[in-house]
Amino acid sequence: MKEILKKLCIEKGVSGNETEMLNAVQELLDGIAEVETDNSGNIIAVMGDKNADKHIMLDAHIDRIGLVVTYINDEGFIKAEPVGGIDLRTLPSSAVRILGREEILGVVCTVPPHLSKGDEELSRDSIWVDTGLPAEKVRELVSLGDSIILYSEFKELLNNNIAVSALDNRSGCAVLIRCAELLKNEKLPCRVSFVFSSQEETSELGAGTSAFRLRPYEAVVVDVGFAKQSGVPDEKSGRIGCGGIISISPVLSKQVTNRIIEISKRLSMECDYEVCGGGTGTNADKISASGCGVRTGVISIPSKNMHTQTEIVSLEDMEKISELLSIYVKEGGAENA
Amino acid sequence: MLDYELLKKLCTADGISGNEDEVRNIIISEITPFADSVTVDNSGNVIVFKKGKKTPDKKLLISAHMDEVGFIVTYINPDGTLKFETVGGINDSAVFAKSLKIGKSKLRGVVSSKPVHLLKADEKKKCPSVGSLCVDIGAKDKEEAEKYVSPGDMMTFDSPYENKNGRVISKAIDDRFGCLVLIEMIKSELEYDMYFSFTVQEEIGLRGARTAAFSISPDCAIVVEATTASDVPFAENEKRVCLVGSGAVISFMDRATIYDKEYYKLAMDCAEKLGVKAQTKTMIAGGNDAGAIHSSRGGVRTLAVSVPCRYIHSSDSLAVAEDMEAVYAVVRATAKRILEI
Repeated sequence: MKEILKKLCIEKGVSGNETEMLNAVQELLDGIAEVETDNSGNIIAVMGDKNADKHIMLDAHIDRIGLVVTYINDEGFIKAEPVGGIDLRTLPSSAVRILGREEILGVVCTVPPHLSKGDEELSRDSIWVDTGLPAEKVRELVSLGDSIILYSEFKELLNNNIAVSALDNRSGCAVLIRCAELLKNEKLPCRVSFVFSSQEETSELGAGTSAFRLRPYEAVVVDVGFAKQSGVPDEKSGRIGCGGIISISPVLSKQVTNRIIEISKRLSMECDYEVCGGGTGTNADKISASGCGVRTGVISIPSKNMHTQTEIVSLEDMEKISELLSIYVKEGGAENA
Repeated sequence: MLDYELLKKLCTADGISGNEDEVRNIIISEITPFADSVTVDNSGNVIVFKKGKKTPDKKLLISAHMDEVGFIVTYINPDGTLKFETVGGINDSAVFAKSLKIGKSKLRGVVSSKPVHLLKADEKKKCPSVGSLCVDIGAKDKEEAEKYVSPGDMMTFDSPYENKNGRVISKAIDDRFGCLVLIEMIKSELEYDMYFSFTVQEEIGLRGARTAAFSISPDCAIVVEATTASDVPFAENEKRVCLVGSGAVISFMDRATIYDKEYYKLAMDCAEKLGVKAQTKTMIAGGNDAGAIHSSRGGVRTLAVSVPCRYIHSSDSLAVAEDMEAVYAVVRATAKRILEI
């Protein structure tokens, strides 16, 4: 699991550029499933009985938040704007990777402590990135529209916790890949599509279009959920190491949710629950309302520091959720078609 | 060319004020074969004497500090996360979401806070204060964390070092660059005898330089530093202080020192004669070990030559090799000239 996650988290794939992830997904699923892309940039892997009536979709969005280059000034500074819900507090004086013709390291501009208290109001309109290179060189290497991501290394903390960027939602993608591995030699009673969906962070585009096109009978969405940490309310979060956070929401199917809960108990997972009055804030909101409607459930990996370069998840939670999903699929989903 | 591999070694070594051991050990092993005397004083400063071809009638000290800004663990929370304080001047904006190395074992941790999704609109526009943050090491609770961490442990930024296309991005360029310049001088043949000090605790009040200058008792001194460049798009004119790419920074005044006027002119003149770029600061900002050295004993004529450095006191500062080479050339030439007047 660690190796899968490592491979996915250091990769690019800011929203709108998900096909940059195609090779990584193909390599990880080599010999397990066939992988294809579609019009919206989704990456889809199919397993199981292609003629089965029952079709289950497992979804994890593969895009990551980032910045996009919008302007280069005559001193070579790069102006950038957010793609997705960037946490502006994470930017000042952080190292970034500018994904141009050649990748270059840069730093997000700030005013130094000798001249400011660092309490200027953060604004999405004043993000400048410094490469230290002359404008001519920057223009040679970087084009408007190129992606920028926060520099981050894969860090192992205590208790199999991992800290790195893009765990939202590469950890979900890793769970889907691990689930596919677990199902590799199984004879499945259904067809299963693993959808590594595009543009969740901007508009949940890929979840909607892929669900429409695939017309699954049921879907389970794997995303990250708020882990308990200082300042996060208990009712909105789950414990790291609890196994997973199961969502309960009016937009979700009770059959699917109950089956997830039932399997979690069988596996002795102490899952926490997140109850939502309306939508879940995940791809499930789009998938469940796609086409003629899709029975949908959500299980999330507890994650601290979401949308930073140092998000945290537990490998143990990810392994448990992979196992749960593999049983869900092996047993043909929530109900027989 | 300066030894940039050594700069990498120095910058990636960890040493906040009061915890300079790792840096000191690197320096001692680098210079010992080339120096006539190397001692570590009670404060932890490394004091070096190197003979030149001639013995001058004045005692010149060249100084750089070993410590970097960072953090210190103050308390372990019941949930196993760490409370901490800054050591040296670090803005709140440079802290949240950064990776850190903790203690001698270099345990990994990250600076954590409530995720952006759960913030009120006004909270999203302001970086959280250091006091409101904690460091997560993945421990389950206080008891587990205590096995790995103790209050008083140092924490430093865990960030990349890159030297590419003639520019360096790293933590601690302030002042491992200065240490590099001194090491290079000690390794080279000198015209005159000189003293060198690699000082401790600059970032918390110029403390090592005070004792080093007292015990060496120099007549004149050159401080080699990295200084604040603020030439970024949202700062203009004099607010830019000094400019990356415009050469060695020779200060006439900062918050801690009014520099010796003759030495200031001498250094500018040396740069011109060498054909290397030099500039001065356009704001009275910052301060360095010169503040302690120039006021030592009966007074020491003092000069500071610095590399302009953006995002100083953060995880990722930026400087260019061209400026670094200019500083080295100016320091060497000015040291000689000072001893000849």
